[in-house]
Amino acid sequence: MSGYLEGIIILICINSIAAMGVSLLTGFTGIFTLGHAGYMAIGAYTAAILTVRHHVPWLVAVLAAGTLAMIIAYMIGVPTLKLMGDYFAIASIGLGETIRLILENWQSFTRGARGFPGISNFTTLPVAAGFFLAMLILMRFLINGNYGRAFKACRDDFVAASLLGFKTAHYRVLSLAISGFYCGIAGGLMAGFLTYLQPVMFDMQKSTELTAVVVFGGLGSLSGSIIGTVVIGVVTEVFRPISQYRMLIYGAIMVIIMVARPEGIMGQHEIGPKLARSLFARKPANERDGNHG
Amino acid sequence: MADIILKLNNLNKHFGGVHAVQDISFTLERGELAGLIGPNGAGKTTVFNLITGVYSPDSGQILYKGEDIASRKTYEIVAKGIARTFQNLRLFPRSTALENVMTACQQHFRYNFFEAISHLGRWNSHERKIREMSLDLLDRVNLLPVAEQAAGTLPYGHQRRLEIARALALQPELLLLDEPAAGMNPEEVHVLNELIRKIHRDFNLTTLVIEHHMEVIMEICPHIICMNFGALIAEGDPDHIQKNPEILKAYLGEEVED
Amino acid sequence: METLLQQVINGLSLGSVYALIAVGYSLVYSILLFSNFAHGGFLVIGGYICYYTLAAVGNNIWIASLLALLGAGVSAVVVERVAYKPIRERTNVTLYLLIASMGMSIVIENIFVVTVGGRFRALPPVIPTNPVNVFGMATTSAFDILSLVMAIVFLSGLQLFLSKTKWGLAIRAASYDLRTAGLMGVNVNKLISIVFFVAGLLAAVGGIFLSVRYTLYPQLGLITIKAFVAAVIGGLGSLPGAVVGSLILGLAEMLTAGFISSQMRDIVVFGLLVLTLLWRPTGLFGKHVAEKI
Repeated sequence: MSGYLEGIIILICINSIAAMGVSLLTGFTGIFTLGHAGYMAIGAYTAAILTVRHHVPWLVAVLAAGTLAMIIAYMIGVPTLKLMGDYFAIASIGLGETIRLILENWQSFTRGARGFPGISNFTTLPVAAGFFLAMLILMRFLINGNYGRAFKACRDDFVAASLLGFKTAHYRVLSLAISGFYCGIAGGLMAGFLTYLQPVMFDMQKSTELTAVVVFGGLGSLSGSIIGTVVIGVVTEVFRPISQYRMLIYGAIMVIIMVARPEGIMGQHEIGPKLARSLFARKPANERDGNHG
Repeated sequence: MADIILKLNNLNKHFGGVHAVQDISFTLERGELAGLIGPNGAGKTTVFNLITGVYSPDSGQILYKGEDIASRKTYEIVAKGIARTFQNLRLFPRSTALENVMTACQQHFRYNFFEAISHLGRWNSHERKIREMSLDLLDRVNLLPVAEQAAGTLPYGHQRRLEIARALALQPELLLLDEPAAGMNPEEVHVLNELIRKIHRDFNLTTLVIEHHMEVIMEICPHIICMNFGALIAEGDPDHIQKNPEILKAYLGEEVED
Repeated sequence: METLLQQVINGLSLGSVYALIAVGYSLVYSILLFSNFAHGGFLVIGGYICYYTLAAVGNNIWIASLLALLGAGVSAVVVERVAYKPIRERTNVTLYLLIASMGMSIVIENIFVVTVGGRFRALPPVIPTNPVNVFGMATTSAFDILSLVMAIVFLSGLQLFLSKTKWGLAIRAASYDLRTAGLMGVNVNKLISIVFFVAGLLAAVGGIFLSVRYTLYPQLGLITIKAFVAAVIGGLGSLPGAVVGSLILGLAEMLTAGFISSQMRDIVVFGLLVLTLLWRPTGLFGKHVAEKI
């Protein structure tokens, strides 16, 4: 496999991990975020500093990256997740930008906007793919059980959820913490792939991209978020020669999808036997006039 | 000495200048099937919201099995055995009927985070039990055929029954039904009456029903409480209530000649 | 002491420009209850129309401004009709509008990148910037005083419009409850178009002043994030709040830049945002919509 193709696949694996995290938070728990690149940044710089300056083995560094991002997400989440809807989204913009600005201005620690070079290239294809599969399985398992149902309850109707005995605040914070972990891991792997970091790589554009792929793929569909990441990853590469049009097309796609098919590519379906059955099975007679509310 | 499961003492709640609940006191004995009636805006749903901790009262006590739950959080109150349905239906529309019930059912078959992400330990056995119990509850309210259908696409009457099934999945001791017959035609109301009677019996519940359909209340509730403008204006059995001029005045707004 | 007064005047001037942007943004929020992230786009459109018209008609600021304001207003109406109307007619999920607005913001920014290029453009010095002595205590530039005056003029104009005209009354009614206003006979679509026109117009005024202050480039619209912050501090949906919030923000920024450091400016801005959301999410004057349970 050519190095170029390998690079694309690695990048898609990394971005998918971040997308899974955002998918949990936005798609399954209903919390809209525009600042998750901040957690990727935390993860990336943590892994970079640990491996380059303290000679920590990369695996430990990446796990530490995820853990630190998770802890910070948790600390941010406790006070801010009381905010509903638009307010939290705006706060997340502020938080994401603040993280980036701190990284840019803390020159002594992060070398700021000049960039952080010299990271070893530890994110090979097996590493990226391995992490991707592991994180995917863990997320899938989590969603297909009591926690998944709890998150969805908080998303669909938090009043009803609390009246079914759920501590909605607790689940929201948990969802944010896990999404922070995933973005932190993705950031750590990103450091080992690019071998060079700049805070501007984790700006609002990156955050928007993370949320956009989850929306494209379908809110409430894990496989949809991954498909969305793949599509954007491929489109980005295909349009690289005309990269000034890339952003324009990307913005246009966002608008078009919201206008034409807001439920995204997969709606809330997952790839699997259930989907196949519903696509190919004939509807039984008594469901013929099912009214869509 | 009757076993008292719920006792409201001089409960008060203001919303700005509106005195929504005024000095409400009543008692429910364990195993009762009681009705809470009154014109729109009388404060009935507010009483439910106070009992379930959605609002906290300005003054007064809510004694559940002897314990004052007036300042408790909703999830604590639910865990103690109180469940409710809603005037405006609060199902999870994108989830299937089965998933709706399972979400409530899982509260009694808990497993931890590590078991959740690994599918090891109690995951298998508990998920199976949750699923079985949920299917059973759907069967009891005659919704088994639509178990895999999205709750939001179900006909209105089915949705109301689904909400009841979901509340039952919490294994409550006290069930609060908020206008379960709203929007139903007489035939559906009759079916609902039978359902309420059946679950009240089979699940050994104490049930308090808010309703406007007098056919429901008069037929199935031996104990009726009537509110108007936030205050309790009458309490008694169907006979007593039907003859009470205060109540007729509340609903019809005019003096009644004997 | 002189520096303090200087920075206060600078702060008020900057704040007044923010106010023009924040008010338009809050106006849209108060009617449609969503954050229009494309608002910055209207600002940029105004700036570019002004720039090119100035080049074409020989530096007549009045004609250029008039065209810029009209152009931005019309663009805002077009954006609403194309991107938001189809969504809001189909669903009342504001999340979709939010994402569509993000997409539109990217589209508008990149239309300019693609057509006229991303380089910085200085507007010809049609707005006087000569130093002015204030009460013999401090020197400031005529520009700052002019932008303050212009902001007052336009905001007063808006206030008159809202309180004395028929459509102004309709808008105020709609900000309480759009649906009911519609049921009372207000042409909702027309009302929304008028609101967007006004918002676009105000943004363009801000855009012209910002272009002179910071030079013109496609990403100038990102400054709108600061207007969002101002609107949140003042209370989303409240117009006086947007003005007060903007002045606070402008002052905070300038005082930080003057007495601490320029880099800390943005961190202070986002810090204020997060603090507001934590301490008093509905801002100083915001509306709190309670849900009937």
